[in-house]
Amino acid sequence: MNAVHRDPEAIALGHAALVEMRVIAPSLVFASILTDDGFELTHAPDSAIDGGRFASMTSSVQALSEAVTRELHIGASEYVVIASSAGHVLQMRIPGQPLILAALFDTHEMLGKALSTSRRCAELLSTQLRNL
Amino acid sequence: MAEHVILFAGPMGAGKTTAVQTLSEIEVVSTEAANTERNVVDKPTTTVALDYGEITLDLDDKVRLYGVPGQKRFDFMWAILKERARGLVLLINNDAPDPIGTVLEYLEEFGELVSDGRAVIGVSRSDTAPVPTLDDYSDALFEARPDLFLPIFTVDPRNAAQMTTLLLTLIATVESRTPEGALS
Repeated sequence: MNAVHRDPEAIALGHAALVEMRVIAPSLVFASILTDDGFELTHAPDSAIDGGRFASMTSSVQALSEAVTRELHIGASEYVVIASSAGHVLQMRIPGQPLILAALFDTHEMLGKALSTSRRCAELLSTQLRNL
Repeated sequence: MAEHVILFAGPMGAGKTTAVQTLSEIEVVSTEAANTERNVVDKPTTTVALDYGEITLDLDDKVRLYGVPGQKRFDFMWAILKERARGLVLLINNDAPDPIGTVLEYLEEFGELVSDGRAVIGVSRSDTAPVPTLDDYSDALFEARPDLFLPIFTVDPRNAAQMTTLLLTLIATVESRTPEGALS
């Protein structure tokens, strides 16, 4: 059995979800779907950003945020935001899958819309992967 | 109270997380994720950011224990954590492909800590993989870095006495290389 990041059907579904996400949110600079342990499934759009590096860092940040959540006993981690002067990164788990969605938006996007767009993508992809 | 920050590094499967869990007197903060590539190392989870534990060696010495991810793709975590560290425990599983070559690569990666001898090497799984021997490691290390002397032990990361000996050896070495002996 292929690891999920090498499954052509999962990769195709993931890529399509990211492309659709960019249609909804043109301020999306780069988005990636990756495994819990930091292997990239797919990314979009093509970019100078190193997708492998982005996936590894996303995996570490996700795990650290969940460690903080556990230590503080504040329930389940929902999403992580890294806000900076020239853009923000939003990341969250794909429900029911050992996968993470991470998206870099430029500052033209309101954080609320970025969050709703990312959630929509994560939920859509979750449903599609479950039906594979 | 002196505080020491010690890193546990080495390839995936060497026993870093287990070593931190064995030594720590607090519940270890871990960042385990499902291991996608079980064909490479057959274990269910892998560390993707850090493990964190603490141990008090005596009234004056608190040691903060950080385990780093084994895979090179997480080397940004190595860079973050080694800036804080004053000593390195390098663990290598003797059944790894080319364990001696792997040790030499890691010594290069953590060069700042290694260059003035603030490191020890622990060889795990030598019960199931008896070669290379400790002499083989010593010879290879001498050939590659004749300027360097690093203590090398066989260890079982689950064994508290063995891991404590390894840690105390490192702490003694670190203190001997620091004028005031107090580190943070």
